[in-house]
Amino acid sequence: MENNLPVISINNLAMNYGSKNVLKKISLEVYKGQIIGYIGPNGAGKSTTVKIMLGLVQGYEGSVNILGKDIKDGIDYKRKIGYVPETAEIYDNLSAKEYLIFIGQLYGLSLEEVERKAIGLMNLLGLGDVYLSRISSFSKGMKQKVLLISSLLHNPDILFLDEPLSGLDASSVLIVKELLAKLAEKGKTIFYSSHIMDVVEKISSRIILINDGEILADGSFDELKNNAHEESLEIIFNQLTGFNQHKEIVDQMLSIIE
Amino acid sequence: MKNFFLLKLLVPFKKLFTLIGIDYNVMRCILQVKLTMDSRRVPTVFNNSNNKNTNKDKNRFLSSLLIYMIIGLANLPFILLGHNFMFQMSIVFGILMFMITTSMISDFSSVLLDIKEKNILHSKPINSKTVNMAKFIHILYYLSSLTLALALPALIAAFIKFGFMFLFIFIIELIFINLLIIFFTSFLYLVILKFFDGEKLKDMINYMQISLTLIITVGYQFISQGFHYIGNSFDIVYTSQWWHYLIPPMWFAAPFEILINHHSENYLYIFMSLALLVPILGIIIYIKLIPSFERNLQKLNNEANKVKKTRNIKITQLLMNVICRNKEERIFFRFSSEMMKNEREFKLKAYPSLGFALIFPFIFMFNFSRIKGFEGLSETKYYFNIYFCTIMMPAIIMILRYSSNYKAAWVYKTVPLKKIRSIITGTLKAFIVKLLLPIFLLESVIFLSIFGLIIWIDILIVFITILIFINLCFNILEKALPFSESNEEQVNQGGTALLLMFIILLFASMHFGATFINYGTYIYALILIILNFFLWKYNFIITWDELENEN
Repeated sequence: MENNLPVISINNLAMNYGSKNVLKKISLEVYKGQIIGYIGPNGAGKSTTVKIMLGLVQGYEGSVNILGKDIKDGIDYKRKIGYVPETAEIYDNLSAKEYLIFIGQLYGLSLEEVERKAIGLMNLLGLGDVYLSRISSFSKGMKQKVLLISSLLHNPDILFLDEPLSGLDASSVLIVKELLAKLAEKGKTIFYSSHIMDVVEKISSRIILINDGEILADGSFDELKNNAHEESLEIIFNQLTGFNQHKEIVDQMLSIIE
Repeated sequence: MKNFFLLKLLVPFKKLFTLIGIDYNVMRCILQVKLTMDSRRVPTVFNNSNNKNTNKDKNRFLSSLLIYMIIGLANLPFILLGHNFMFQMSIVFGILMFMITTSMISDFSSVLLDIKEKNILHSKPINSKTVNMAKFIHILYYLSSLTLALALPALIAAFIKFGFMFLFIFIIELIFINLLIIFFTSFLYLVILKFFDGEKLKDMINYMQISLTLIITVGYQFISQGFHYIGNSFDIVYTSQWWHYLIPPMWFAAPFEILINHHSENYLYIFMSLALLVPILGIIIYIKLIPSFERNLQKLNNEANKVKKTRNIKITQLLMNVICRNKEERIFFRFSSEMMKNEREFKLKAYPSLGFALIFPFIFMFNFSRIKGFEGLSETKYYFNIYFCTIMMPAIIMILRYSSNYKAAWVYKTVPLKKIRSIITGTLKAFIVKLLLPIFLLESVIFLSIFGLIIWIDILIVFITILIFINLCFNILEKALPFSESNEEQVNQGGTALLLMFIILLFASMHFGATFINYGTYIYALILIILNFFLWKYNFIITWDELENEN
């Protein structure tokens, strides 16, 4: 699947917040059609990486190239990117229709095109009857669907999804997983961060594990399994991040609770 | 979405925007969304038709402008006084600038400090120039409506009295003043953003807003008092001092002297050039500062995980144990105290009111005493002014039900509570101990030192009256659990507030009547104490059903 040039190429990326090193010289290359499962404990630097690639965080060291261009050279690359942020940041005083039209237009789509796509996708995800309602009245899962739709309106080549399944019901999860697989088949690149290892294990074609600002592992699930001699990503994850006291912690918790 | 008036205004400038590298259509989109959101401070759950709401919003916006216009009437005397422009216009501009800046900081900081915007907009293919221009126009739009409303009375009066030329200078200068204010406020925020971050920063901004709200109101009282002295001293001949160059309102007064009165002193020209150059320079600096502003804005997201030591003050601990009779009440006493201490929205709304409660009695007292003089004050019954500190009580009790984390109120229902009553009494008692008592004690000490210890019984009566009054507030106001409703759903209960004000007047009159009878006050105090005892024992009964119905 790895044909010619990388879609994303990160070179010695480092970032400090004050004295805290969030990213310590990360380098990686991502190719067309890959679904990257980007995993790591809380505060490992996942969101920061994604935010740098989106141009939301400035002041980093190293270089980031997306679709062959340094992201410092202009904003046009963003036209090809869809983004679902980690915290469901959304203008919830708007109706779903207004929000989607707004976002679509920001990506340069015409009003007619956005409307057609928005209502179509809303209907398919079962939100047709709340198309005109304010987002503030939506449940977590409904908001998540709106965010997903807003990231897909402009048919992007790269998708950055931060915990995209959170709050979704089982049938929607099925739809989204299938959708991601199909998008990858069509040559889109998906950069997916999550804490739910079962999902990452199943949908990713490549898994990148980051901890404390450094890449600990990079490869397909099978490769990780072979290296670690373990069967589940969850165990591999904890092994690599050096976490093995969960049983003792639970024992102590039980003794406190009882 | 509506096609707003502002958006139509921009159409002719389409080419100009495109010329300086701004994506006009995108900018228009952003502005449309922002204006739509501004007009929707009330989110209605599952409401598909927006018509009803937009109408209501419009009225609300108009009425707020109307209030500003009424405030703006304060400028009239200064315009109409005479032809000493240097003096008159300095004061007019001083008032205008102060009003605009403060409302800009207190009402508009949410726009200036919007971090959501960054994540939503900057991840899209929009150049930062376009985003910044949209932001700038948005701010400018509100600033202009505000300025226009505030200055309208003065503008009309100036036109009638001094003619077109005066009006023209006035309007041009207002534009420059707005530029200066934009620069000034963002610079102020930049400095604060630079030195503080995370929660501390939010606290700083919060306190700044609170103090500014306070200053406005108090400032107004003093301006109104100042009229007398200004009226008398109107023949002052203006002499320029070096420090006058540091007072912006004076810069803006100078052009009137030059262009209308045809005075041509050097210092006037310096003032005038300052009035022209500083705002222009300021706005250039502002545009240069935006990136660094944005960078520092990220700090708002940072969480400084500093552990705050909780000081358990023994006195409150003691008071709590005395006045809260059961465990549940104590739980909510503690909970509400913490909430009142930490919730910024609450502080922003409640603290200025508390400040007024502290200041009002003195303002009214000084207003009265100015007529007769301070001597002999202690022989009068002006200590009744202490009743003015109750004016803000209903307002604060009303605020207690709101919270920005109102959704967390589900805990009330899921925990095994014996009586809902404890939630309410616990909260009200926390309010009394934490907010009311400190202010009332301070007030009492001052009043006792002015009027002598003899009025202790009257002070006691007032305090008991307040306690009874809190009962009545609860009964009359719409019932709700504390911190359980969204800030944005606030309903105006102006009518009820008026009724409550009348009740206080009734209490005060009874008290006043009692002072004419021998031992009257003592008997009255005894009656109040008994009434208060029974009210706090048996009132505040409320059921879940009642609460449901209210919603």
